Amino acid sequence: MSLDAALLSRLLRRDVSAFEQLYERHSRLVYRLVLRIVQQAATSEEVVQDIFLQLWRNAKHYDSTRGPFAPWLLTLARNRALDHLRLKSERQRRLEEQADTLPAVFAAPDYEHELDEKRRAERVRALMASLAPQQKKAIELAYFEGLSHSEIAATLKEPLGTVKSWIRNGLLRLKEGLQQQANT
Amino acid sequence: MSNCDQFRDQIEAYALGALDPEERAGLEAHLATGCVACAKAVNEARWLVSQLAYSAPDAKPSDMLKGRLMQTVRAEGDGKPRQAPRGHVVPMWMSAAVAALLIFSVYSAWNTRQLENEIRLANDRSAALLAERRKAEEQLSAAKREAMTTMIMMDPASHKIDLWGKDAHPETLEAKWHSKLGVCVSGDKVAMPAADHVLQVWFIPKKEGAKPMPSAMIRPDASGKFVVLILNPPEPMDDTKSIAITEEPAGGSAWPTSPIMWSGNVT
Repeated sequence: MSLDAALLSRLLRRDVSAFEQLYERHSRLVYRLVLRIVQQAATSEEVVQDIFLQLWRNAKHYDSTRGPFAPWLLTLARNRALDHLRLKSERQRRLEEQADTLPAVFAAPDYEHELDEKRRAERVRALMASLAPQQKKAIELAYFEGLSHSEIAATLKEPLGTVKSWIRNGLLRLKEGLQQQANT
Repeated sequence: MSNCDQFRDQIEAYALGALDPEERAGLEAHLATGCVACAKAVNEARWLVSQLAYSAPDAKPSDMLKGRLMQTVRAEGDGKPRQAPRGHVVPMWMSAAVAALLIFSVYSAWNTRQLENEIRLANDRSAALLAERRKAEEQLSAAKREAMTTMIMMDPASHKIDLWGKDAHPETLEAKWHSKLGVCVSGDKVAMPAADHVLQVWFIPKKEGAKPMPSAMIRPDASGKFVVLILNPPEPMDDTKSIAITEEPAGGSAWPTSPIMWSGNVT
């Protein structure tokens, strides 16, 4: 059982110190992601607070046997930050949060292995930097700003087919790079 | 071509949330059939997409955030059950205090249930409001598409392209291309494609040897009518030689798999 899974199992028993350890392990990365999407420090802290409170109150919805915790938490964080970006008023935001569901848990691929946050960030950044600038931009617009293919094509003033190819080929290259690094 | 092959190119974009609504609906319908291979591919793509978070610039939340969170969590955590100490003689004053505490606990539990009921009702109301909002957004989106279609069809600046079949047929098809608004393809008396098949629009680039660019998919209504709006044509008008339509398996193809049924030159 991974450390995260053990901490989550304690979290289900309302163990405050387990929550604190999970916060220490993941809050920095979650904050980085939310700040990149929301772009405002104070608002980002509000969103991060909501994410961790949701984890504390709804930890039972995460099934650690179905996949690792960090990718699931990052998906939850991205969804919440993009929701915040899209919804204009505080009232709308609250309504959305109440009715929204948590993301599904997904398994890591076979080639994935444990890495600390710093080394993982280094390898993802290096792979992203190896993409053509427009290709990297298209992926970032989709991931950090939640834009669709058509919206990205309009933003970059590029043909839709080109944007689709950029994104697919870029993600496949990222996957190949992560596989190669895992095998070395 | 297996059914899954139609969706393979879309799985990464789906995990990224970048598919446009029509493509997303097609892929979700396929996943709903229980396709294990595509579900596995989506699962892996979701993990891959989650790794993009690590490319966000370094930053650190304030210590105050942790303080606020821990304060809330500790306050909520105090409600967890604790085991009562055993083997001690309990003095009278403590029994009275425990009795008072019990009464208070019962009242608190009743109060909590009331609050939970109120929260549940508020959640139900919120869900209903959200559903109404989504429905209104869908209606607005449909109205916008209809207005855009009318503008393209009526605007004298739109370029009319007649689409001709290779033999004489009763059907009539045409496209109208507005350089700023998009393309509208319409047809009348068009024969229904075979089951599990659709008509697919292609943009043929002028550039020698360039790949035909796949676009919208169509199924005419019972009378053979259809109108389809393409807001972002894959190629600009100046770079497009012609528009063509073929019959493809449901979900569309990345490359034409059947002969051209209708086509028309753009210039």
